[in-house]
Amino acid sequence: MSNLSPEKFENLQKIFYPQSIAIIGANKVKGTVPSDILFNILKAEFKGVVYPVNPREKHLASIKTYKYAIDIEDPVDLAVLVFPSSVMHMALEQCGQKGIKGAIIISAGFKEVGGQGIEREEQIKEIAKKYGINFIGPNCLGVINTDPNVLLNASFARKMPEEGKIAFISQSGALCTAVLDYAQAKHIGFSKFVSIGNKADISEIDLLYYLKDDPKTKVILLYLEEISDGIGLMEAAKTVIRESGKPILAIKSGRTEAGASAAASHTGSLAGSDEICDAAFKQAGIIRCDNIEEMFNKAIAFTYQPMPKDKRIAIITNAGGPGVLTTDKSIQQGLTLAKFSDTTTEILKKSLPKTANIKNPVDVIGDARADRYSVAVSSILKDENVDGAFIILTPQSMTEIESIALEISHLAGQFDKPIYTSFMGEADVKAGIDILQRNKIPHYILPESMPIAFSSVYRFKKMIEEKPEEVIKLNDKNSEKAKSILDKASSDGRKYLPEEEAVKVLEAYNFPLLKSTLVNSEEEAAKESEKLGYPVVMKIISDDIVHKFDVGGVILNIKSKEEAKESFNKIISNVKKNMPDAKIKGVFIRQMIPPGEEVILGMKRDITFGPVIMFGLGGLFVEIYKDVSFRVAPLDMKSVDKLISETKASAILSGARGLKPRDINSIKNCIIRLSQLAVHCPEIKELDINPLIVLEEGKGSFVADTKIMLH
Amino acid sequence: MEHSEVQARVKKVISKVLKIDEANIADDANFIFDLGADSLQSVELVAAFEEEFQIEMEEDKALEVQTVSDAAKFISQYLK
Repeated sequence: MSNLSPEKFENLQKIFYPQSIAIIGANKVKGTVPSDILFNILKAEFKGVVYPVNPREKHLASIKTYKYAIDIEDPVDLAVLVFPSSVMHMALEQCGQKGIKGAIIISAGFKEVGGQGIEREEQIKEIAKKYGINFIGPNCLGVINTDPNVLLNASFARKMPEEGKIAFISQSGALCTAVLDYAQAKHIGFSKFVSIGNKADISEIDLLYYLKDDPKTKVILLYLEEISDGIGLMEAAKTVIRESGKPILAIKSGRTEAGASAAASHTGSLAGSDEICDAAFKQAGIIRCDNIEEMFNKAIAFTYQPMPKDKRIAIITNAGGPGVLTTDKSIQQGLTLAKFSDTTTEILKKSLPKTANIKNPVDVIGDARADRYSVAVSSILKDENVDGAFIILTPQSMTEIESIALEISHLAGQFDKPIYTSFMGEADVKAGIDILQRNKIPHYILPESMPIAFSSVYRFKKMIEEKPEEVIKLNDKNSEKAKSILDKASSDGRKYLPEEEAVKVLEAYNFPLLKSTLVNSEEEAAKESEKLGYPVVMKIISDDIVHKFDVGGVILNIKSKEEAKESFNKIISNVKKNMPDAKIKGVFIRQMIPPGEEVILGMKRDITFGPVIMFGLGGLFVEIYKDVSFRVAPLDMKSVDKLISETKASAILSGARGLKPRDINSIKNCIIRLSQLAVHCPEIKELDINPLIVLEEGKGSFVADTKIMLH
Repeated sequence: MEHSEVQARVKKVISKVLKIDEANIADDANFIFDLGADSLQSVELVAAFEEEFQIEMEEDKALEVQTVSDAAKFISQYLK
């Protein structure tokens, strides 16, 4: 699905912009959901017509009440259903007969309760499909649209929020009410507010596509508990960002969920669901937040202020300490302190007291009143070397808190540069903060939150300026050959490919491999070693042995015929001693790779996001260092670059501390091949190339060991 | 007891509890969807049926019954 179908878009329009609503199951018992929904719609002064439906009531809230939806004479755009789940199918059936195309099913008692609830959910999905209805829910808080042309509060939230440019989509209904309360206190408004509940029909993906074209929405916030279609979500997010430039900020709960610790491969063990979600969000351009506060801190920066042209910031403060804290955080976030022009420096010198610091961070001194802030802020924002300003205030006895807040609000509108503020404290600065928030100037309790929000906006701006890249395709592969090896193993019921077969799969995809052969006697070992050329490596081959080192099944650096014979015998005896039951297929001999940097490439097929590629520092201690990063396949070149640059290994490979730079291009080539293999061969569950030995720049890299696990 | 008699007495109870004219209670009417009973009234109905027929029903199962004729059938099981 690349976008919404015209029917679904029309139905969503009916949900968000209805001209008439039937509230099916409304009642007069105050304090219950069926009653509150009706009163909330009325209280918000909905701009259309409301039809309460209840088989027992003649009227509710002085409005004529219908026995059934089909009894309503006029057309109805939206049905809000609050009947118990046991009769929801009957109510929805009548909505279908009435020709209602948009619905919000508030009631609980469906999939979330298990058992019969699952059947009920399937039943309503079928009815909706039969009549071409699209619905939000069930088990949700409802939908809010603050657009003055509709004023819809079809929810049981206590209050209608202010109108704003933020759309909020939440899988948790309870969190919605908490967010509304939090936002109200900070004068944060919303364009749309949707609780998606069980998302039996309309999901966050549909809503992302819908909000992409919603002129009232500038920023989209998501709270997700589970992602059912990871690939769809990534595709939708990329489309929204690319086509509308609207940022998407998301909280995905369940961060601590245990990864697959018992996995047989390093990749399987390192790629927990949260790491994969993190990587997928990054790749799709979704800004992942840890908590509500962080999400709104960033959201107000995106919503209220223009995006910065560059990352040169100015700090204006009346206290030294907070200025230093903010400077530290700015540098840590990759921002730079702006160097003021001579004109600015001259103005600051003239207007500020001698004791003031006129260099960035500018200290207007504790006794600064509004006039001093005003001259500092306006002259600095006029400076071409400044891309944005952080304004800090601490409340001294002479500080004109409210006047300064008003002055900042006034100045903010005059420049096309972002201004963020931090009035530190709580009680004394409250009135000032209130002025800033009402005037839509981003305000933060902690000054360090300003650089965090600024850098998030700056990175997003850089990202949308980059041109999207095509997924890279290599045509020198023989996917049929790889498939036939994998198919045979699968049909034999094997879950693990022995190394000689795994190597053949990689060979089909043209990975850089060394010459190798399988032997079964000491004579053969000596003869083949001579042929390959010394030094060589020997490894045990057995379906029963995954970790060859642990059983003494690997000998490196074999340099002569005699050593070859001796090593063959030693490997066999080690294995017989350590794993007497293992069925030995033979000993694998391979050219010894010249010394190089060891990295790991891996792949794991994730249930939500599909094939995930891993890169990191390789070798024996992969799981101890955990210096790895992830991306969802298929990969474009930018993703390949980021996959490498996110790890510490990247610095080592680039030639840290006088080391010669390694052949990073050959790693990229291998990653692309792995990405293609992962996409073409869904039979592969997990794959490790560990290590891939990377030689000096221009000299390539070689696969030293590989493991392939099947489903 | 004849099924028709059970059904008639069930309707009488519903009429009393939900304050609906007996003539307006169809055999296949759904307590919630057609007669507008809420969850509290559903519990009241179960109690009223028990009193009317001098029986004790399994509450969980009784609450699953949704229509007039199903209620009559359900109650009949206890009258045998």
